[in-house]
Amino acid sequence: MKRRHLIAGLAGLGIGAANPVLAQPRPRSGEKPFRIYMALFRGWEDCAQGFKDYFVNQGIPVELIVRDAGQDKSKLAGFVAEAKEMKVDLVFTWGTTVTQEMLGPWDKPDPARHITDIPAVFAIVSQPVGAKVVPDLVSSRRNVTGTTYLVPLETQMALIQSYRPFSVLGMVYNPLEPASRITIDELTALGRQLDFRLEAVPVDVADGKPQPTSIPAKVAEVKAAGALFLYIPPDTFINVNRDVLTGAALEAGLPSFAAAENPVVNSKAMFGAVCRYYPVGQLTAYKAEQILVQKRAPADIPIDAPKRMAIMINMPVVRALGFYPPMNLLGLSEVIDPESRP
Amino acid sequence: MAWSLSRKVSVALLGILLSTMVMTGAFGYYKFQSVLSDQVNSRYSFVVFTIKRKIEDRLALGLALRALRQIQELAELEKARDSQILGIQIYDSNREVLFDTDRGTIGSRVPSTWLEPLSAQGTQPFSLTDEDSALVGLPLVNTLGKVEGAVVLRYPATYLEQELGRLLQRLAGEFAVVLLGSAVLSVIAASWLLRDVRQRLVAMENTLNQSVTKGAPAKPGRDAFEGDFVRFCGKAREAVEQIGEASDEVERLDRLA
Amino acid sequence: MKLDSSRSLLIRLFALAVLVLVTPLSILSLRALGEFEQGMVPELDKKAAAIGRDVAGQVSRALGYGIPVDRLVGVDEFFSPMLEANPEIRYLAITDPVGRVKFINGVDRDELEPHYRSADMNAVGADGVKSSIGAYMDLALPLTAGQTVAGHVHVGFDQNHIATRLSDILADVAVVIVSSLIIAFEILLFVVFVNVTGPLKLLRDLVNRAGHGDFTHVPTSGSDDEVGRFLRAVQGTLRQLDGRYRQLMAYVDEVRSGHFDKGVVAKVGDVADRINFLYRFSPSGKPEPMVERRATDIRLALFLFVFAEELSRSFMPLFAGRLASSVPNVPIDLVMALPIALFMAAIAIASPLAGQLAERVGPRRLFLIGAVPATIGSLMTAASFGMFDLILWRTLTGFGYAMATMACQSYISHAVKSDRRAQGLGVYVAAVLTAGIGGNALGGVIADRIGLRPTFVVSAILVVLAAMLVSRLLSSADPAPGEDQPRPPGGRHLLRLLRNWRFTVLMVFAAVPAKMALTGYLFFLVPVTLSQQGWEVAEIARIMVLYPLVMVAVSPLAARLADGLGWRAGQVAVGGLIGGVGLLAPLLLGGGPLSIVVSITALGVSHGMSASPQLALLPDLCWTECRRLGNTRVLGFSRFVERLGSVAGPILAALFIPLWGMSGAVAGLGVVVLSMAVVFAIASAAYGSGPHIETEEDPA
Repeated sequence: MKRRHLIAGLAGLGIGAANPVLAQPRPRSGEKPFRIYMALFRGWEDCAQGFKDYFVNQGIPVELIVRDAGQDKSKLAGFVAEAKEMKVDLVFTWGTTVTQEMLGPWDKPDPARHITDIPAVFAIVSQPVGAKVVPDLVSSRRNVTGTTYLVPLETQMALIQSYRPFSVLGMVYNPLEPASRITIDELTALGRQLDFRLEAVPVDVADGKPQPTSIPAKVAEVKAAGALFLYIPPDTFINVNRDVLTGAALEAGLPSFAAAENPVVNSKAMFGAVCRYYPVGQLTAYKAEQILVQKRAPADIPIDAPKRMAIMINMPVVRALGFYPPMNLLGLSEVIDPESRP
Repeated sequence: MAWSLSRKVSVALLGILLSTMVMTGAFGYYKFQSVLSDQVNSRYSFVVFTIKRKIEDRLALGLALRALRQIQELAELEKARDSQILGIQIYDSNREVLFDTDRGTIGSRVPSTWLEPLSAQGTQPFSLTDEDSALVGLPLVNTLGKVEGAVVLRYPATYLEQELGRLLQRLAGEFAVVLLGSAVLSVIAASWLLRDVRQRLVAMENTLNQSVTKGAPAKPGRDAFEGDFVRFCGKAREAVEQIGEASDEVERLDRLA
Repeated sequence: MKLDSSRSLLIRLFALAVLVLVTPLSILSLRALGEFEQGMVPELDKKAAAIGRDVAGQVSRALGYGIPVDRLVGVDEFFSPMLEANPEIRYLAITDPVGRVKFINGVDRDELEPHYRSADMNAVGADGVKSSIGAYMDLALPLTAGQTVAGHVHVGFDQNHIATRLSDILADVAVVIVSSLIIAFEILLFVVFVNVTGPLKLLRDLVNRAGHGDFTHVPTSGSDDEVGRFLRAVQGTLRQLDGRYRQLMAYVDEVRSGHFDKGVVAKVGDVADRINFLYRFSPSGKPEPMVERRATDIRLALFLFVFAEELSRSFMPLFAGRLASSVPNVPIDLVMALPIALFMAAIAIASPLAGQLAERVGPRRLFLIGAVPATIGSLMTAASFGMFDLILWRTLTGFGYAMATMACQSYISHAVKSDRRAQGLGVYVAAVLTAGIGGNALGGVIADRIGLRPTFVVSAILVVLAAMLVSRLLSSADPAPGEDQPRPPGGRHLLRLLRNWRFTVLMVFAAVPAKMALTGYLFFLVPVTLSQQGWEVAEIARIMVLYPLVMVAVSPLAARLADGLGWRAGQVAVGGLIGGVGLLAPLLLGGGPLSIVVSITALGVSHGMSASPQLALLPDLCWTECRRLGNTRVLGFSRFVERLGSVAGPILAALFIPLWGMSGAVAGLGVVVLSMAVVFAIASAAYGSGPHIETEEDPA
């Protein structure tokens, strides 16, 4: 019965959730709410909302201390000091910058400048390993865990397979970007598991710079190698030149899949998948619950991304290719179609 | 009232018939009711399932449950399609009604018992009752596999009874007619079947009376039983005579003195 | 037609019962089923519409995005989970505007396309069109792409679906009708016997005596029906005759005492002597009412009592299983087996004691005493909340069962002294068997429809009814307790029976395994296995009833065979082998219902074949003991020994389950039974032509 009163009390406050700063659930008599210090970088957005909603929905009493750096890196040192002074139960860090500044590198955090004794969860860090927040995704080996927001490659491949089974996957990449190499290695390994071959073609490099003009030829090369899909990785060079790449793919009659939102929504990639921030926030809160309620060590909680993702289908491109999505996938997807009639 | 043999047999038969009819009727009715309510339930489960699927697809797109404004229209559309649906509600795991075809109740709370089926986390639809309405619902599960709330569909609990009521009345009428017919038939048939017994008993009684009191010679019996009986009659007659003669003789001897 | 024999009259009346019960019930059932089917149709239509709308909505969305209807992708994967989740839908199809089938799941397109091509699909409005195609009910809904109709979605319902769903009702009705006929038979037998043939049989005895001049008895009659009137007429005649005789004797006494002439006195004495020589009148001053006990008197009560116990036969282990959660550290299978085993143990222990008690207090009182624990046991079983109290109540019920059945046996064995013994035994066996068929089958239906616990309440009510019947009908017929029974020798003498190797072999290797198979397999493994395979209790009961049915069919043939061949030991051996082999069916046929049917049938054949020869063997094998101890004692002891098998059966089966699984346990039990049967078969060959004597009349 007690628990139900609590849930009721929490939910009553939940109605006012539109104004997140006010959303500080009332402590329950006899049991103190968990105090969570939320360090944000670009204000209150979906991830923070998902984080907060999770506690409300699960009936876990929390007091959220919300601080927004407003994209000002210099404020973060103050946040660290404040969190330590308040002796909060948990720290939540949003984004790579905040996480790096507040939690420090995994191998040598500075107890004076970083949060070390208080358990922390991070969110919206695209490359936690690359950013040296954690040594690997299995364990942080310290008082930290968190979430990534990139759809795991395996999930991406399964998604492409569900659109149409394929045996050759094409990819055009920037050889100067080290991340591309990692993606190629991982995809090659996955190909052995899932029985497909990766056809990865680097763009031409001139004067130490990748040449966007070479993209259409490379796409044609991939197509000629028998690729059924073109894989578009989340990569800066590609993102900048997305129109050239996706346009070339469409021209070549090669369906394209993007692991980012822009190529699909604002360009001509045929379909794509990303993790939305709201479920990332929920998943981060889920890890916080494991630390606070179930008293698990953060080092024991692996870092991962939400299992399900937002799938987007660019319908004009689909029609132009005449390469239609299966019914079930269509049902699950967000369809981008400016001329949509239904 | 004399309980003749045929009446006893008829009553026994009709008693058995009545109890058998009541039993088969009750069993058949229960079975039918359960099949029909399964059917109604499965139809509404399907409707609820389609709503659940649409909500969960949107949850998977990374939207908060309470932010899914289109769900209100979806629920209203489904309700408009079936006049028997009293309402469709979506509530979250804090019992707060987020969407309801009856917009007035949005923001109110569902009974705490409505949360119980959610903890089971099954994919099977659950059933609830609420005053005079029956509910069928499904939990809403987010991408973390956690229950965010539930969608329930409300339909009149008396729906089945209304449907069945007319049907039962009609059947009850036939029931009564058949029972009555069987009663008449069994009385007549039993009486006819026992006629032989009755006639022979009467015949034997006559033989007894004739033979013992009037001394008429008994007709030979038709079977061993009647043969025995005729011998008995003869013996009884003989005994009556013997005793009579003996009495006469004693009287004669008594007077002699 | 013989007036003092129930048979022909009963046949006629039973024919009437069949007519009066089966005809109206069949008519009504079929009518009701028709109504039910009609009642279901609108519901199915609505569901078809709901599914059709959903499918049409999703496909229309795809078409709206510009996907041509014939180039939809993944329709199979889209349709198949819907077909799977909704078994009443037989197919889903998408056709183009002219009715060509573009996609279909569930049936072959050739079955439907001709119909779609010829139908006018333009007429399909937004609510769809329903049409009947062969066995299917087809609902067509339009697919729209923008404003144009791009094709149709078809939802196909199985028209027989409702009939299939409701077919259980017919099975229930059939079971209830058959049970009712069995009950009707028992009640008619009772009515005819109590009202017609019983009194007339008695009358015939009396008439026979009177035919030889014995006028000591008069028939009694309390009823006012035709038979009663006739009996009263006979009674009147006899009373009149008796009156005349008394008058004569009074006169004679008067003359004797009052007359002075010795010669006259002597002559009068001669007259009186002559009459007394020719005829016998009651010495007590008035004719005595003639009373006699017959085995049939108690048959209905026995039937009802056994019927009550049989109601829970098909689900007893399942009921125990549901309560089993309250016992930690005991394997669930054993927990399910224990109530059966302990019920049997209670019967085994209580029966010999009840037998002695019957001689002391008389069968009527013993039955009434036994009804008390049986009623309480059943009621408390219905209310039991855990394993331990369930076992307690079942044990109590077992005691009651032992007392009531022993009371009936005792009553019958006393009643049939004037009758033939085999007939008496026949009455007992027939009542138990018919109760077994009807009770088990009906119990399954009751349990399925109103629940397991209420079924035990029904049992309790039936037991009370049986007790009331006994209390009312046998009130005047009970013998004075403590008849001239020689005190039989004690149990130690009985144990000496075991030194007779022929007896011991018969018991241990034929009687015990037979009971083990019955309780371990039929009573325990069959309900548990079938229930695990998802069968309902009513269906389980219907399958279990095969056993007594087969037995009823086989027994008379076996008896004839035994009489013809005189090869009793061999028959027992063959029966045992059949039963053992039958239990091995799961090895060949898997654990499905077919193998269970085969095993149960084999068990029925086995027991039908060996049960009566096994009984008849006893006096052959141990005639000296029978002479010394009495047939009843030997028989009682053999019953006790074989009941040990009844106790062991479920426990053994339960211990096998964790080792080898359900089918393995059946086969394991089969191996045990079969190997024992083989031992018996070999040993019985050595019985040779040992000492034989004719079956003696029970000296007790």
